[in-house]
Amino acid sequence: MSIDEILTSEVSEEHQPIVLSTRIRLARNLDGQPFPGWAKAPQRKEVADLCVDALHQLQRLRKGHVLRMGDLPDLERAVLVERHLVSKELAAGKSGAAVISRDQTVSVMINEEDHLRVQVLRPGWHLRGTWNLAEQLDDAIGAYLKIAFHERLGYLTACPTNVGTGLRASAMVHLPGLCMAGHMEKVTRALSQDGLAVRGWLGEGTEAAGNIFQISNQQTLGLSEEAILHHLSTWIKNLVEQEWNARRKLALDEGEKFIDRLARSLGVLRSARLLTSAEAMNLLSHLRLACDLGCLPEVLRAQVDRLMIEGQPAHIQAKAGEALDSNGRDARRAKALREALRDFPEITEPTV
Amino acid sequence: MHLSQVIHGKVTKVHLCESCAQKGGASDPSIFQLAEALAAPHSEPKVVCPKCGFTDQDFRKKGRLGCASCWEVFGDSLQLLLAKVQFQPVHVGRTPPGFLPLERWRQRLEAARLEMSKAVAKEDYEVAARLRDEITELEARLK
Repeated sequence: MSIDEILTSEVSEEHQPIVLSTRIRLARNLDGQPFPGWAKAPQRKEVADLCVDALHQLQRLRKGHVLRMGDLPDLERAVLVERHLVSKELAAGKSGAAVISRDQTVSVMINEEDHLRVQVLRPGWHLRGTWNLAEQLDDAIGAYLKIAFHERLGYLTACPTNVGTGLRASAMVHLPGLCMAGHMEKVTRALSQDGLAVRGWLGEGTEAAGNIFQISNQQTLGLSEEAILHHLSTWIKNLVEQEWNARRKLALDEGEKFIDRLARSLGVLRSARLLTSAEAMNLLSHLRLACDLGCLPEVLRAQVDRLMIEGQPAHIQAKAGEALDSNGRDARRAKALREALRDFPEITEPTV
Repeated sequence: MHLSQVIHGKVTKVHLCESCAQKGGASDPSIFQLAEALAAPHSEPKVVCPKCGFTDQDFRKKGRLGCASCWEVFGDSLQLLLAKVQFQPVHVGRTPPGFLPLERWRQRLEAARLEMSKAVAKEDYEVAARLRDEITELEARLK
């Protein structure tokens, strides 16, 4: 896979309001092999070769791209992280690899914290379909590789927080309404008290730029996959409803002030000469909100999503074809946004 | 995540991955009790995984295990942590293709032993040899 192929590929074919994407991740390890964090380099290499061979047997990944982190320049690895195709941890090591399906829906990370991290990522909210695909892949992988499993503890993983099902189900949600209304702290507390983790845009330890959050289950042992999915699904439905309520209330209570806020964001994006990635994300979040509420034509949501991804630091540099310092990146980002939004229509009254 | 606790001038340090720390409650003193249970500071490793050489002190340092066998070796100490971060200590989800519960393996072992003695009695050594291999594998699995 060349980096150009990723840069030119569509961010996604579906652009729902609120839920940006659904992700399922299964942590699996090979029986009889030390976990990647404890294995010696030759053992990691052996595991990587075994896994790549097995994954190539799977129909879904037969024509997939095999990316060995040690062979990729820093910038290309960073682009993969920004596309959520690999984790920051995998990109940071030399012995990791990823096998990615042509349509970029499936990405299996090899030698991350566990030998295998099977990921299925789909745009929009499609928990059932995403899970079904992950389950099929898991069965197919199990037919080629002997997976470490314990009758009482389930799938054995390097970290005690993943043992059991090894399942992390998550939704990427855009919650500007709850953020503007100042409810996010309360929501985060309620979610974490009920076994769900709230993380930033690029996963563990990242900030929630652009009012985008990743919501996922925390517990993996003692709950069936069905129970985990049902719990997440119930909460996401609830959150979507709360977010719509918050948006309607803001639009109603604040009126002109609310529209002004969205219009100012468009104004800044159209004329700024320097924009950090966090600032650009926050301003674009307002444009996405405007699309959801009918203040901008809904068809523009796809374009806003693309600008969010393309405004990330590694994407900016990959497009420029060179490494840039933060000032250089901020200038490039601002220029790209000015050009992309030049012909955007003005913000109007909400219709929703 | 690196945590330090000072009680009466005694410093205890714990190293946990971010999610363990978050789930275990980084401010919860029992995380430190767990660390002490796993390995007292400045002491020699007490438990070593015979399969991969990982020690209780390594776990204290990394917050992650060395191999699948470590789960058996450090089982008792891990139960403490699992009770804290997980819903229940017993898996209730999917199993790998072809997985049979232990009881089924035991039943199969008994049946295979019986079949082998019959095969030997009938001087059917080809079948007996196949069964012997299966019995060896089952015994190893049930060990």
